[in-house]
Order: sequence, then C-alpha cells, then structure tokens
Amino acid sequence: MDAQETTAACRDAFAELASPACIHDPYPFMRWLREHDPVHRAASGLFLLSRHADIYWALKATGDAFRGPAPGELARYFPRAATSLSVNLMASTLAMKDPPTHTRLRRLISRDFTMRQIDNLRPSTARIVAARLDGMAPALERGEAVDLHREFALALPMLVFAELFGLPQDDMLGLAAGIGAIVEGLGPHASDPQLAAADAASARVLAYFGDLIQRKRTDPRHDIVSMLVGAHDDDADTLSDAELISMLWGMLLGGFATTAATIDHAVLAMRAYPEQRHWLQGDAVGVKAFVEEVLRCDAPVLFSPTPRIAQRDIELGGVVIPKNADVRLLIAAGNRDPDAFADPDRFDPARFYGTNPGGTNPGMSTDGKIMLSFGHGIHFCPGAQLARMQLAESLPRIQARFPTLALAEQPTREPSAFLRTFRALPVRLHAQGGG
Amino acid sequence: MRVVVDQDLCGTTGQCVLTLPGTFRQRKPDGVAEVCVATVPQALHAAVLLAASQCPVAAIRVIESDTGDGERASADPAPSPAEAERHAAKDQRNPGGHDGTV
Repeated sequence: MDAQETTAACRDAFAELASPACIHDPYPFMRWLREHDPVHRAASGLFLLSRHADIYWALKATGDAFRGPAPGELARYFPRAATSLSVNLMASTLAMKDPPTHTRLRRLISRDFTMRQIDNLRPSTARIVAARLDGMAPALERGEAVDLHREFALALPMLVFAELFGLPQDDMLGLAAGIGAIVEGLGPHASDPQLAAADAASARVLAYFGDLIQRKRTDPRHDIVSMLVGAHDDDADTLSDAELISMLWGMLLGGFATTAATIDHAVLAMRAYPEQRHWLQGDAVGVKAFVEEVLRCDAPVLFSPTPRIAQRDIELGGVVIPKNADVRLLIAAGNRDPDAFADPDRFDPARFYGTNPGGTNPGMSTDGKIMLSFGHGIHFCPGAQLARMQLAESLPRIQARFPTLALAEQPTREPSAFLRTFRALPVRLHAQGGG
Repeated sequence: MRVVVDQDLCGTTGQCVLTLPGTFRQRKPDGVAEVCVATVPQALHAAVLLAASQCPVAAIRVIESDTGDGERASADPAPSPAEAERHAAKDQRNPGGHDGTV
C-alpha cells in the first residue's frame, strides 16, 4: 500500500494496528514493520517484535529471559488494575504466571485437554456441527442470506464449551454474549467506556461462575468445573478461589472468539481459493493441513495481549530491549515472514502436508518452521487441540453440505487491534443454473 | 533409538501425541506426556525427531543407542533438535543472531 511506502517511521505500531486501514487489512503494515522496524519501540515504551525468528525465540524464552508481572507490580504494567475487574482477572490467568505456579495450575486443567479427552468430544462436536448446518439450511435454500459467524462459527465453540464446562446451552449463550466486550476492554488502547463495559460483563460472568461453583460443589459431574472445584476443596493451597475463577474466565475468553474467527477465516479461504477445496474432500491429513494453513495465514490473535517482561537487557537485531521492558509479539507478522514461509501471502495447505508416517506435523511446516498462532513454549495454547478438532470436524461438513456457499456481502470486522475477528459474515447459496 | 520425555518440563500440550499417537500418550490425571514404546522402530526415527523438534517446551530427548550397550546420547556428536532448542532458549546473548536454531 502507498501509505506504508511513504511512512518513514512509525511512532506507535499498536495505534497503527487499531486504525481503520489495519482493521480492514493489517498485512501491508505488518510487512512494512517487519522489514523496517522489526524490533519496534512504541511511544508508550512497549516493544513489538515482528520477525518469525525473534518471535519464536521470545516464545521459547518465556519463563527464562522473559517473565510475567509479579503480583506487586501489576500497577506498573497495568495502570488500570487497581480499578478494573477485567484487568485484575487477566493479571491472574495462566498466561501471566511463571513456573512453578504456572506448571501447577496448568496441570490441573491439562487432564481435560488431553488428546484422549478431545477425541471423546469428537462425536458430540460432529452432532453439534450437523445440527447447526441443518438449522441454517432452510433459510439458505430459500435463497436468503445467513450470518455464518453468529449461526455457526460462534455457536460451535460455545456449545462445545457448554459440554466441557457442564452447563446448560442457554446459560453458555448468555455468558458468551459478554465476551466480545471483555476482549475489547483488555486491548492496550481500550477507552474508559470500553473498559467499563468489559468490567460490567466480567462482573456478570463472575456472578454466574460463583453460582456454578456452588452447584458443582453439591452436585459434581464429569466436567472441568466440577474437577477444579474438587481440586480447590481438597487442597485450597493448590487452587485458590481467585485462581479458580480466573482460570474459568480465562478459558472462556481464550476459547470462543479465537475459534470462531478461525472458522470464519477458513470459510473465506474456501470461497477465495476454490482450487484448494480438494484438501477438504480427501483424507484427514489433508483436512489438517488446510486447518494449519488457515491458522498460519490468519492468526486470530494478531499480537500477544499479555506482557512478557525482559529479565535483563536483551539485544535483538541491533536494538537493546532494556531490563523490565514489556515486550509483545506480533504473531500474525511472524506467520507471514518470508524467511520462515516462502511466498508467505499465498494460501497453500501443502506447506503442512507432511510425510510423517504417524499422521501430521501439527503446527510445523514441511520446512520445519513453527506456525505461531498457538504460541510456543510454556504458554502454548492449552485449547489448541480442542480448536483443531472443532475445525477438522466442521470444514469438510460445511463444504459437503453447502458446496455453493458464497459471500452475500462483505463481512464486517470487529474493530479490534489485536483480535482479528468478525461481527458478521453473511453467506448465501450461489444460484445454480436451472435451479 | 530410544526417546524420553522430561516430565518436569512437559507442557502438556499434546503436540507429540498428535504427531505420533502410537509412541507418545498423555497421563490421565495431568496430561503429562509419556513414551509407550521401549525402543523406536527404524521406520519412525524421522517422525520421533520431528516430534522432538516441535515440542513447544523441548521436553523430548532422543537417545541414539544403536543396539549397543553404552547409551550414547545424541547430544554428543550432534545435538538433537530438542537439545538445540533448549540451548537456544537458554542462550543469553544476542538472540537475534540465532539462525541455526530453526
């Protein structure tokens, strides 16, 4: 884009990423940044890394060269923590913890995210997918437009979470209604009204979880909430009240919008690259390769929303990042770095179609490069395999059920600087000749 | 070839189980990965090296002991991908110049 070519320097990449041009398409700016200012220091003092090699290194060095904020210094990294419930909750999620606390808490939830547990959710996920597609069919077949984002992409992860959390579907849909507001309020440039809206939504989620915990205490079932309540009650040293609540809140926040956005991006890719749809019509390995390429091309989390604090002065590409600086990682730019992925703007699932006799190489290209969308290192997304499963169960069914699905109008993006997602994705069936 | 998972280091991501379900599994109570074969068959050597190199926390270590009695860790002659990654993560200086780690 012309704008980038004439820009000599960028004062604040975070502000630029929040601009309407970047909400529409952030990739030209991210390319400019990676090429001209890959270790960017924003006016606010935050650093932003945009090369694949640097991001990959920083992800692996988290817990070592980088740490999360200590409880006593929340005010320094989150000036609004003193007054904001949402900021406080975010500051106590797993993503902000260091070992050994991080290891202890993460292993409590890992039980429910093992591959075996994810595979157990597969049949019910397939049923939810089929039911949602059935629900969309009558309107589509009448020639009407349907909002795929709301009716499918957002509904699927919500309903799968309802199962995982052991709560009624309607309750989950009610809870999820506030998630968008919370996510927006936590962005680095959120306004005061946005943060207030986030806090109101967080308060509702907390009140609901408070009741839910009581219910699971008296009537435990085989779900993640009952298990965490049990761990808490057996040994309060293992899981404090605050940790329990922030863990549930964190799963809710990390799980929905990201999965929904990736389903949306996958459907857009199916429409934009019809020559690549064959990946969804063959074996499971091909489907997985398609899913990985969607995740690479369109990382739903553009940059890390949580601070990584430098434990010492770190020199990176000739720039010194001083000790205690807050470093963020522009994951979406790393995924499109030509030094890691050749011809990076081309959508090509073959990058991830491996020859591994065991199956796939999840998250690694055939050239041995890591796809960064789930992170790497100790904070690797705990829900990665759950998200992959939902995508693999969805995409071939969407393709098979509605092979002529087309955009009814341009999708509407959420105006978020760090989360690349949608407000609406209207689709319709493309009219067939003679129909 | 043998393969071991450092269970203190394991990040419970399930990546290795997804890569090689017959070689790795996750413990039921906490999702920590474990190896379910005594030795790795020849046909899976490359895949095990792959699993080691893509482990997000570099917790998988490959031991190349070609039927011999002395266990010779692969790190001696040439670092396994997991070892190389671990060293890269610990590298204190000039991380930007670490082209060899990926």
